[in-house]
Amino acid sequence: MMAVGLAFVYVPLVVIVVNSLNASTVFAWPPQDFTTKWWVQTAGNPSVRHAVLTSVEVAVVATAVALVLGTLLAFALARYRFFGLQAMSLLVVLPIALPGIVTALAFRTGFRTFLGLELSIWTVAIAHATFCVVIVYNNAVARLRRTGVAPEEASMDLGADGFTTFRLVTFPLLRGAMLAGALLAFGLSFDEIVVTLFTAPPGVTTLPIWIFQNLQRPNQAPTVNVVAAVLVLISVVPIYLSQRVAGESTAGGRI
Amino acid sequence: MTGDVLERVEQPASARRRLSAALFRHPRVRLAGLLTLPATWLVLVYLSALVSLLVTAFFTVDEFTNAVVRQLTLDNVREVLTTPAYLGAAVRTVAIAATVTLLCVLLGFPMAFFMAKVAPPRSRNLLVALVVTPLWASYLVKVYAWQAMVQPETGLIAWALQPFGLPGPGFGVTATVLTLTYLWLPYMVLPVYAGLERMPDSLLDASGDLGARPARTVRSVVVPLVWPSIVAGSVFTFSLSLGDYITVQIVGGRTQMIGNIVYQTYTSNLPFAAAIALIPVAIMVVYLALVRRTGALDTL
Repeated sequence: MMAVGLAFVYVPLVVIVVNSLNASTVFAWPPQDFTTKWWVQTAGNPSVRHAVLTSVEVAVVATAVALVLGTLLAFALARYRFFGLQAMSLLVVLPIALPGIVTALAFRTGFRTFLGLELSIWTVAIAHATFCVVIVYNNAVARLRRTGVAPEEASMDLGADGFTTFRLVTFPLLRGAMLAGALLAFGLSFDEIVVTLFTAPPGVTTLPIWIFQNLQRPNQAPTVNVVAAVLVLISVVPIYLSQRVAGESTAGGRI
Repeated sequence: MTGDVLERVEQPASARRRLSAALFRHPRVRLAGLLTLPATWLVLVYLSALVSLLVTAFFTVDEFTNAVVRQLTLDNVREVLTTPAYLGAAVRTVAIAATVTLLCVLLGFPMAFFMAKVAPPRSRNLLVALVVTPLWASYLVKVYAWQAMVQPETGLIAWALQPFGLPGPGFGVTATVLTLTYLWLPYMVLPVYAGLERMPDSLLDASGDLGARPARTVRSVVVPLVWPSIVAGSVFTFSLSLGDYITVQIVGGRTQMIGNIVYQTYTSNLPFAAAIALIPVAIMVVYLALVRRTGALDTL
């Protein structure tokens, strides 16, 4: 039963990678012939490269912002009691708890209709950052709750001031969780399509948007297959690393 | 010796140490410092966006320019609630979401049970990693893989069903349900796994000792205990299916769900799209309210 389940989960991903090596352009199954020429061709494709660059830029900005906001929030919510704590916990989860289309449309109306902003790569980054905050927050909070205040208090009892304690005690303990959160946030942002479609202007093309635009073009299919295979491989690496780094939290903070 | 200690204690505190001590004595200042940045961001960027969505649903649109006209009106909401096409889409979407959730439970519970109770402890972490990893592999790529697989003549599924003489599912509601089940399965497996892990093995033994066969044990002991986790998982699978608009466009053929109606109308009539988008919000609010009573939200 477990094997069936795992097979169910992994077969489509394997299909993608295999298809990217399929020599025929029709992509019937099973593939008759294999080649690496599509990979070579895609590496030189300028629109693909531009899309990759855009995705990386957005993901880096979103992850950086999410790291700062998520960690600050984790400290605030894990170490203090205050009125509005429940509300804050709910608010930070909402961006990924509400159906994607709702969040997407909310950002769209917020940016365009109410703030009168033109869409740009920054609106995409802002939207990504907002739901990446909860990823970092979950990881950081889990770690903070696990380590508790005891090490910090011990450090201060031994004479270290607050800043030194943070530098030598708190931060090293938190580092792993922050890294795990950052890796997951990066992966999430890189792959994001639902909200991105609503917050990106015509000129800004992230990699998922590129795939989405080219899905219906049969002559682009080989390139799309390669890009898809690359996306699978790219997202697997940060997740695996983040699992190794985070250790205790099984879902890596998304659930 | 004593003289050294006295000298060290009498040194005047540095500015940094004084600041640290002051912060220590005033926890509310520390809290404010920590909370300002994230709270401001979340409220200004996200909460305001949600509010603007709610308000926009009651605006209307200039017919010629498609620009939003800020006049409050109930027209959009009325149109959404009374037109059969939209109501039908809403019902269909809920039905799809419910089916997906059910399938995820049926597939995910055995997997989670195996991972938590049957598999040897050493392989548990590996199994968890194996289940989590595809959770994060690109959503769009997975849908794209399914598009290739459900192709009527040439897809993998059609090829696998050939010996049985059955046609492939083709594009449509079936393909949508299958793909969504596939996409959200890890969201069900992981909370159920966490819940099962918390359940002591001794309960299973005790049930067996009292004469229950495995099926009875599962029905009467395991499921009631792990029910909050199942419900927690269902929140994700239901919510994600309710709002999906990309999967249904790629593998759903001509199927209309709430999601793709919003996608089709938001550029020409934003307030109307906003009104439609409120339907999943309302449904989720009700769902979450019902779910809260089962205690599932505490496990999240």
